[in-house]
Amino acid sequence: MKLLRMSLALIALTVLSACASGPKYNEVAATFPRSNAADGRIWFYRPGIAFGAGIQPGVILNGTRIGESVPGGFFYVDRPAGNYEVLLSTEVDRKVTFTLAPGQERYIKMTVGLGVIVYRVYPELVDEGVGRGEIVDTSYIGGQKK
Amino acid sequence: MKRAASLAALALACAAAGCSPEVTLVKIVKPADVGERQLATFLLGDTVRMTLPTGYERVLVAGSRWNLVGAIAQGSVYKPAQGVLTVEGANIHEAYLVVRDGALNGFYLPVEQGYSPLGSRIPLVIQAR
Repeated sequence: MKLLRMSLALIALTVLSACASGPKYNEVAATFPRSNAADGRIWFYRPGIAFGAGIQPGVILNGTRIGESVPGGFFYVDRPAGNYEVLLSTEVDRKVTFTLAPGQERYIKMTVGLGVIVYRVYPELVDEGVGRGEIVDTSYIGGQKK
Repeated sequence: MKRAASLAALALACAAAGCSPEVTLVKIVKPADVGERQLATFLLGDTVRMTLPTGYERVLVAGSRWNLVGAIAQGSVYKPAQGVLTVEGANIHEAYLVVRDGALNGFYLPVEQGYSPLGSRIPLVIQAR
């Protein structure tokens, strides 16, 4: 019984330590500088769900690794208008493709799903309204990635 | 029997892994004249629920506004005025509607510059605006 309690505590600690712990979106979003008017902004966020918390793949934008998918975390990049492809370095590659217009804001939500053996994370393009509503519950996990 | 069980197990594993078929794509070389009167904008009169050829479901909500952005041989291409539309298979792609004679023919994928057909046309209740 004691061993069981210790195991559960260890699991809880592991899950908690795997989640983002920075400032919440509403605390810092207003401080992010506006980029060049010709650029658009891409927000990346992952709800803080415990399932698959240990799976934290890299976020790859048009072939360049720009950050990590951390449970309960968000970050953003500003990029020129154009075509974009987001991929996570999980066991099953599943990309999302979308366009970005000048001044436009796009929201990429990273969702946990069940793979063959382990949980995996995949990106989705969501409505601006959905993204704005959900990202407020997440924490900032870094400066703007170049 | 053993073979059937193996195939079933493989199918189950594949489904669990998200081994969806890729979205069918026809490359569009250049815009086309669809030869019909095109609305610059329309409102969708009724909600449309559909199953994509890949098995994923999509809903076009009544009252959503769609803006004309061009035309291809398969029809006029309309982009959502608000929100996003995607088609999904092995990957997820931003998509616009391809409409002809008041029915949804398929989707235009702007990044891939391709056309993804539906299995069958879906009539739309279109309200001009």
